[in-house]
Amino acid sequence: MLNRRTITIIKRELKVRLFSRTFIIMTLLIPVFMFGILGLQTFLFHYSDTENAFLIVASESQMILDNVQSELLGAPKNKDGNIEFMFEKMNKEKVTIRLNNIRSDILEEKITGLIFIPGEALKNKKVEYYSKNPNNNVLLNKIRPPINQVLTDMYFVGRQLSGEELEFAKNNVDFNGFRISSDKEIKEEGIGNTILSFLFTFLLYMSLIFTGQMTMTSVIEEKSNKIVEVLLSSVSSRELMTGKIIGTAITALVQMAIWLSPLIILISTTWFVLPPEFTLKLSMWHLLFFMLNYFIALITFLGLFATVGSIFDNPQDAQSGIWPIMMLIIIPFFIAIGMQTNPENQIARIASFVPFASLIIMPARITLVDIPLMQLILSIAINIAVMIFIFILAGKIYRVGILITGKKPKWSEVVKWFRYNY
Amino acid sequence: MYALEVKNLSKNFNGIKAVDDASFIVPEGSVFGLIGRNGAGKTTTIRMMMNIYVPDSGEVILRGTKIGQEFKDKVGYLPEERGLYKKMKVMDTLLFLAELKGKTGKAVERKALNYLKRFDLAERKNSKIEDLSKGNQQKIQFIAAILHDPEFLIFDEPFAGLDPINTDLLKDIILEKKEEGKVIIFSTHLMDFAEKLSDHIAMIDHGKIILQGSLSEIKSEFAQRNVTLEAVGDLSFLDSEAFVEKVENFGNTVAIKVKEASQTQDLLKLLIQNDVKVNKFAANEISLHEIFVTVAGKDANNVK
Repeated sequence: MLNRRTITIIKRELKVRLFSRTFIIMTLLIPVFMFGILGLQTFLFHYSDTENAFLIVASESQMILDNVQSELLGAPKNKDGNIEFMFEKMNKEKVTIRLNNIRSDILEEKITGLIFIPGEALKNKKVEYYSKNPNNNVLLNKIRPPINQVLTDMYFVGRQLSGEELEFAKNNVDFNGFRISSDKEIKEEGIGNTILSFLFTFLLYMSLIFTGQMTMTSVIEEKSNKIVEVLLSSVSSRELMTGKIIGTAITALVQMAIWLSPLIILISTTWFVLPPEFTLKLSMWHLLFFMLNYFIALITFLGLFATVGSIFDNPQDAQSGIWPIMMLIIIPFFIAIGMQTNPENQIARIASFVPFASLIIMPARITLVDIPLMQLILSIAINIAVMIFIFILAGKIYRVGILITGKKPKWSEVVKWFRYNY
Repeated sequence: MYALEVKNLSKNFNGIKAVDDASFIVPEGSVFGLIGRNGAGKTTTIRMMMNIYVPDSGEVILRGTKIGQEFKDKVGYLPEERGLYKKMKVMDTLLFLAELKGKTGKAVERKALNYLKRFDLAERKNSKIEDLSKGNQQKIQFIAAILHDPEFLIFDEPFAGLDPINTDLLKDIILEKKEEGKVIIFSTHLMDFAEKLSDHIAMIDHGKIILQGSLSEIKSEFAQRNVTLEAVGDLSFLDSEAFVEKVENFGNTVAIKVKEASQTQDLLKLLIQNDVKVNKFAANEISLHEIFVTVAGKDANNVK
């Protein structure tokens, strides 16, 4: 398959793709884009608009009020905005009257809200919050701990407990994860591997879609340029497709190696030391598996994208043809992301052996749990079988598609192409 | 032995017979014209000869052996629909296409440069294809077809869409390659070009080869009973004449076919007796167009 003609096609693809400005730009841009999305998400999640929050804290008990006041005002100021408080002693009926008086102020957001801590709260910790926007979790998350602190402290006062005992009671259980693996040594698990699995998943997802689209566009271009017939007077359609796909796959592998190079340096040298909570359990084998898996994924998906490109003459029509392929990438992507809370859930286990899904889910899984070697071999075997099948199928459609121009073919016609003796 | 032998080629598309049991021979050193109207099956035949399409049945024999991939290296091909990589530079394009044919190295580059000089494009060797005019892009396409010094040149509708300068250029290439002893095969629906350039032809109609052989032999065979007439006057009396087989009016000229070759003299006498003013009376002459009409039938009149 890798004859002189295929190699000439590969060389051209590398010249156009690997040694091009687009390659450099994309290699830089995809990580920027990835971290951009992550950053944007984090920013939106934590974005708070509490700069001018003004809260009335009310209680029928002066003692609660005093304690809350000293706790709230003693709390370190938040970086992103100040909350001002006003403390008023009143009972439930007065609260109703007060709320009527300040309704317009609340609606105009001059007053953000009113917190009423009934005396009962000392027993059941139930606190009422009246606001135009009572679901402002950013604000409540800031107010909740001090109030909780006050109520807890007051509850235990007089019960002869030491401060140490109180501290203990208030603390949540802290799980330290230790990973049991085939290694003798048991290592404490940091969040490093969770980040890594996210990284693997995201890189796979982004680069498969980008290189896939690129391959599709270039096939459409050859078709609409009419150069394809000139090429076919020298090479067979299979040689042309193979050359294109391998050329693009090599480019994508080089790109991935560049992206992963910091990881390679990290695990193979002692130049950098990660803080213990980010400790990575990662070996060269993981990266090798990842690259092998990526190569199989590229050949499989580029075959599909090239096929779609060969069916249509213009990118607009082709969009209707790529959604099934996109689904094959997007659904596993969401499974892989969802899996990070529990990598051993049933869907993830099964999906890591399902054709196509396996290509995206398995790399994320191996970073989170130890997968027996046999399972890895099985998944690779399944994926290689699918790759070969797709390659043959793609070749059959491609050889017919690239010479057909004019009207957009129906899917039923495309199915007929399999049987064509081209 | 013939250079190329096409044997019983057939090809169906969705049940429609594009090429139906086509056979013809291309002798060594010939300029071979594959002639037929649009949609007759020329491109499909050529694509099967190029091994781009696999025939449903039949085969193409190259000097005694069935063609395969190695044949492609020996052919320079100019498809009907021409195109190049728009973003690729001129010299890169030429070298890439030559490399696909197995030709690499300095020698090819020198040769490419020589051709570019000859076609006035040497200073554009580092331009992108998309920056060239359409006419110049066609020149690059010709160079790409002949750069690897192929033994066979296969041109599909080579004159379609060419400006007069490029038409002459292409004719020159064809004649030059003929001098070098290469085999040139081209398809066309333009009878005029075919008549001027080719020495062997095959006519294809509705996927079937309806006539083939040496052009001069075909012409003399068809011309014996044929008269080409340019005349003024009423010719309707010819229809009732027993020895006249067929009268075809082409506007300026009228083609008349008599039953026996010896009757052409009788025809001339008859014309003069009937007061027809004869401007030109050519016995034993027939155009390829007339032959095509004779063979393909009346409905072939739309072919020029």
